[in-house]
Amino acid sequence: MLDRLTISMRASHVIALTFFAVALCFALIATLLGDTFYMRLASEALIFGGLALSVDFLLGFVGQLSLGQALYFGIGAYASALVLMQVPSFWLALGGAILAVLVSSLIGGLIVNRVRGIYFALITFGLAQVAAKVVYNTRELGASDGIIGIPVININLLFFSFSAANPLAFFLFVLAIIMGFYLLAAWLLETPAGRAMIAIRANEQRVAFLGYSVRNVRLGAYVFAAMIAGVSGALYPVLRGFVSPELMYFATSGNAVIAAIVGGVGTLIGAIIGSILIVGAKSVIGSWTEHHVIFIGILFMAVVLFMPKGIFGFIRERIEMRMIRKASAPTEAKTSDETGVAGKQA
Amino acid sequence: MTDAVLEVTGLSRSFAGLKAVDGVSFKVMPNRITTVIGPNGAGKSTLFNLISGVLRPDAGDVFVQGKRMTGLNPASLNRQGVARSFQITNLFFDLSVRENIRLAAQAREPAGKMLRSVKKSTLAHEQSDQMLARFDLTAKAGELAGNLSHGEQRRLEIAVCLASNPTILLLDEPTQGMSHGDTLQTAEMLKQLAKQVTILLIEHDIGLVMSLSDHVVVMHQGRKLMEGTPEAVRADSSVQAAYFGHV
Repeated sequence: MLDRLTISMRASHVIALTFFAVALCFALIATLLGDTFYMRLASEALIFGGLALSVDFLLGFVGQLSLGQALYFGIGAYASALVLMQVPSFWLALGGAILAVLVSSLIGGLIVNRVRGIYFALITFGLAQVAAKVVYNTRELGASDGIIGIPVININLLFFSFSAANPLAFFLFVLAIIMGFYLLAAWLLETPAGRAMIAIRANEQRVAFLGYSVRNVRLGAYVFAAMIAGVSGALYPVLRGFVSPELMYFATSGNAVIAAIVGGVGTLIGAIIGSILIVGAKSVIGSWTEHHVIFIGILFMAVVLFMPKGIFGFIRERIEMRMIRKASAPTEAKTSDETGVAGKQA
Repeated sequence: MTDAVLEVTGLSRSFAGLKAVDGVSFKVMPNRITTVIGPNGAGKSTLFNLISGVLRPDAGDVFVQGKRMTGLNPASLNRQGVARSFQITNLFFDLSVRENIRLAAQAREPAGKMLRSVKKSTLAHEQSDQMLARFDLTAKAGELAGNLSHGEQRRLEIAVCLASNPTILLLDEPTQGMSHGDTLQTAEMLKQLAKQVTILLIEHDIGLVMSLSDHVVVMHQGRKLMEGTPEAVRADSSVQAAYFGHV
């Protein structure tokens, strides 16, 4: 028999696969139409999707609301930018970002995991604001201007290389990385370590009495989520050619939380698509009016009120029910008509 | 003479000057049911919290199979074979019944399996199947623990404890809130369990204590009043005085 958690994850995979197919179609159509604007916009949305995925991993599975996840997105972006200013190597920049995020999230994790619940949310918020202000006031990091003029680089992939300025190639590259994160997170949640994280969301106090070190499990989840945010951040300067302190601000963290909630907390893929909806809405509506925030606010309220599980949480539930019905169908056929009817009603 | 599975010596803990547990010593012998009884406020729950690592004692020691375990945290104690249940049902309510048990069992898998698919935790799966069958929960395996009846939840609580393969099981009022029928069933099950694992119980139902226990420890106002066989305890006048007041 299939586990409930496994069924949920499979239902997420169905949405993820559909999303992947739609993204490829989008890339094809955009290329045929010779578009570069929307392709670059979609790349940016996917990068922020990585940040939202990181937020959803913590919120939806470990039960921790981080209001400062942009901290690691920003650290990844700055580390990547600093390396790229010296050496135009993507892999070196990525390595620098990973190292910086690993060290900072271990330190940050030891601080924020001393508390839980609302205090966790507040302390993650505070930590990110402090770091953003430090960056804002550090001349070596470009202070309020950030780091500009990051050269366009070639990304070497073993057998071939492409320019980061090539919108199609870069979009596909980002898509592969973000979907890779999705799969990595989904895989982790299907291991005993990941299940221990889920157990923390369900009842943190009980976990210790099963013999798990709650501190280590929480720290592991925190560092993993920070890595996703950090590597996503490392892609940002490659696309945009600059980084600025705003990347670490609450607006960035808050948008990721909104994306995860609109998309569907605990679905992983919903956070990524939610982020695309938000970035897309911002840009499209922003071209008509500067008050696009009003629209995002209304969208957020509508989802919270009418679809508390988020857009893709709602859809996923439907897929799950179909999967459960399908799984129990063979046994149903053997039993009498009565139970068959009951099964359909359920 | 066999060695005690659990031994506490001079265990004490005060809260703001009030001695909740005061110099309590006793031994729990293997494969027996030892029950701690006492009127409300006697310090039974504090005693359990001291043994299971929730609280640190001010004085005294806890030994499990002869090894000193004083001051270890609940996770380390669990890994040393001490599992406990809770007076107020304490489960993973929004996870399935099977997952509740599996989570406890997978903690016993070797560390190398922690980052492989849960499907590969064969030990944990076998263990869960066994527990589900043993506690008559197989039919409910896919249900969320929160949707079970109270009696089923109390059974699951014991199943979760047992799934971590403990040497000693601390059960805090396992029949709390159960119907009479469920209570009798649970008592029978505990008797069976005692063949496999040592049990230390807190229980209020005196009838149940007398029929179930091999050994009874009576607590009163933080101190151990007496200990002995159920018969000896029943006959003791100081126990009667503690429960009913001096007549």
